[in-house]
Amino acid sequence: MLIELGEVSKIYNQGQANEVRALRGVSLEIAAGAMVCLKGPSGSGKSTLLAIIGCIFPPTSGRAAIAGRQLARLPDRFLTLHRRESIGFIFQRFNVLPELTVRDNIALPLLPLGVSPKERRRRAEELMARLAISHRASFPARQISGGELQRVAIARALVNDPPIILADEPTAHLDTGLSREFMEIMAGLRRAGKTVVIASHDPLVFEHPAVERIIPIKDGTIHVS
Amino acid sequence: MTPSLEKQFNILDYALSSLWRRKLKALTVLLVFAAVIFLIASFHLLSQALSEKSRLLLARTPEITVQQMSAGRQEAINLASMEKLKGIFGVRRVAPRVWGYYFDEVHLANYTVMGLDFARMPEGSLPAPVKGEIAEAVGQGGVVAGASVVKSLGLAERGIFSLFRPDLTLKAFTVKGEFPPESEIITHDLLVMDIEDARDLFFIPADKASDLCVFVANQGEIGTIARKIADALPGTRVLTRPQIQKTYQVVFGWRSGFGSICLLTALAAFTILAWDKASGLSPEERRETAILKVLGWQTADILTLRFWESLIVSGLAFLLGITGAWLHVAYGDGFLFRPVLLGWSVLKPGLGLVPDPKLADLLLIFSFSVLPYLAATVIPAWRSATVPADSALGG
Amino acid sequence: MGSDHRSHIMRPSLNLALILLLLLGFDAALFIHSRIRQAEAARHLPSLTAIVTSLGLTDLAVATEARYTRHPAVSDPMAPYGDHPGAIEHFPSGSFWRPPSFR
Repeated sequence: MLIELGEVSKIYNQGQANEVRALRGVSLEIAAGAMVCLKGPSGSGKSTLLAIIGCIFPPTSGRAAIAGRQLARLPDRFLTLHRRESIGFIFQRFNVLPELTVRDNIALPLLPLGVSPKERRRRAEELMARLAISHRASFPARQISGGELQRVAIARALVNDPPIILADEPTAHLDTGLSREFMEIMAGLRRAGKTVVIASHDPLVFEHPAVERIIPIKDGTIHVS
Repeated sequence: MTPSLEKQFNILDYALSSLWRRKLKALTVLLVFAAVIFLIASFHLLSQALSEKSRLLLARTPEITVQQMSAGRQEAINLASMEKLKGIFGVRRVAPRVWGYYFDEVHLANYTVMGLDFARMPEGSLPAPVKGEIAEAVGQGGVVAGASVVKSLGLAERGIFSLFRPDLTLKAFTVKGEFPPESEIITHDLLVMDIEDARDLFFIPADKASDLCVFVANQGEIGTIARKIADALPGTRVLTRPQIQKTYQVVFGWRSGFGSICLLTALAAFTILAWDKASGLSPEERRETAILKVLGWQTADILTLRFWESLIVSGLAFLLGITGAWLHVAYGDGFLFRPVLLGWSVLKPGLGLVPDPKLADLLLIFSFSVLPYLAATVIPAWRSATVPADSALGG
Repeated sequence: MGSDHRSHIMRPSLNLALILLLLLGFDAALFIHSRIRQAEAARHLPSLTAIVTSLGLTDLAVATEARYTRHPAVSDPMAPYGDHPGAIEHFPSGSFWRPPSFR
């Protein structure tokens, strides 16, 4: 199993007045090469679950093993290193740096890996070609369209060739056409052997034929109906 | 290149492009910083150059100078005092001088008039490099003039000029020579003449002099002999060579009014810069940091990034400021400070200063400028680097 | 704007290195020139010290506006207050030159 979670809980601001229990005892297994959708309304905890799978922070309690590494007692340094190598993240609002060019945005994850400028350029150009955005390579990100931004975000998530791709509400700000396009790209990634986990409550996502399994989440727990 | 070295260069590249993206702000900070360093460094170089020049030039200033004091002010000294000095063991010779200031009302300039008894001064006569045909004693009615006096009185065209005595009668002088241009810093306002001419010009009585120069045989005995002179001539002020030289080592300094202004301005500018840096992270900066962290940048990498950004700005500012200060003092004669340096002086010498900065001086300025700025950057950078990565989520 | 075809890119660090090299090179040239000027000044030094000795000079001739700014080394400490017991410093150069200290 590539992703294994056992009785995972996450509490924000533990012990304080604004304590929030985002996840309660979630257990989950995802095999390599699977394409899974975490389905639930906003506030259900799916973003938190995705963040734990994405090695952004460890769970408050419970077991979490991602790509062979136990997260629970991992210091932040190693968490980051692991994330660098294993995870490609696509955000809800893409979170692309507007002043950087498309090429520079895509190559951003490679900087701390000590990849040379030549190699960074090569990889970025390969991905831009694959996603048909090569013509925008030198444009600042603030000057490109929503659809192109989406593909930049995907390219950036792929640049370090991670085994796991995570997407958090990727179609929230896209029209139908772009949403369909997005899912086609995700399906292609799955066929290429990546493990894809998408958190979304958009039917265009969870009803897509490439999605093998839907995991419903509500109030921080998984509901198996 | 190893990956870890390549990573450092990558972070440096990112820092540079990050500064370039905010070039207006970065350039402003750089220029302000450079201006502050320019100010401090200029003051330091100028005062150091003047101190050093005086140290070199005044190395052979008279060993002891004796002045008569009355009611706390300087007065003319009786020539009879010379007799008491000759009896003191170790005194080689005593030379009286009549000197003072002549105010030229037409040009509003102060000249320093020096009347010397050339027979009694060491070396006996003016040195050879004096411009003009004179190498011998000036003689009655002759003067050797400094560059500013020549210019002010137009002495290049005419060899004879007159000055007013106190009763407004005129005394005529002949220009026998000019001091060389490289001596401007010590001679530019001088009119050197025979002691009797000066006496006549200023109506100083025959039995008085402005002060006495005492030359001793053994340099190590200056202090002892000075004390003996003070005992022998109560009511006089006895100045030794070390005291005169010391004046010039401390006459410029951070405790002078101007030095304080430079320092306070610099401190104020730094406080503003540091406050700006520390006053928190813009939302863009927080967002950028969060995104970088999610993409795999560690806290240490973010800190390195911010450190490089600050070092580039402050390092460049330092280099520009120091270079500018050097050009200002060594080639511009410190022209920005000249109004304060010369004040209301009408006669303006070329100072011909060549400062000699030691590495210690540069390091001192560096530690008072770049290091505080870096420190003021690291702390907020630390705070910003600990922005949690998950704040990039959820839009 | 469009896609560029630069095959060789100057990385920003290299640009910085070039700028630093230029600056430091200029500074090095200034340093060398200063050494030349100092050597020249050193050549004049003997004649200047001879002038100092034979005339008994005690001060640099810089600010000629007042006697205690022209001759700070030999002015009595009361000189700046000569006009009036409560007179304050009114010469601009007095802010640059510290007043003579009591001896």
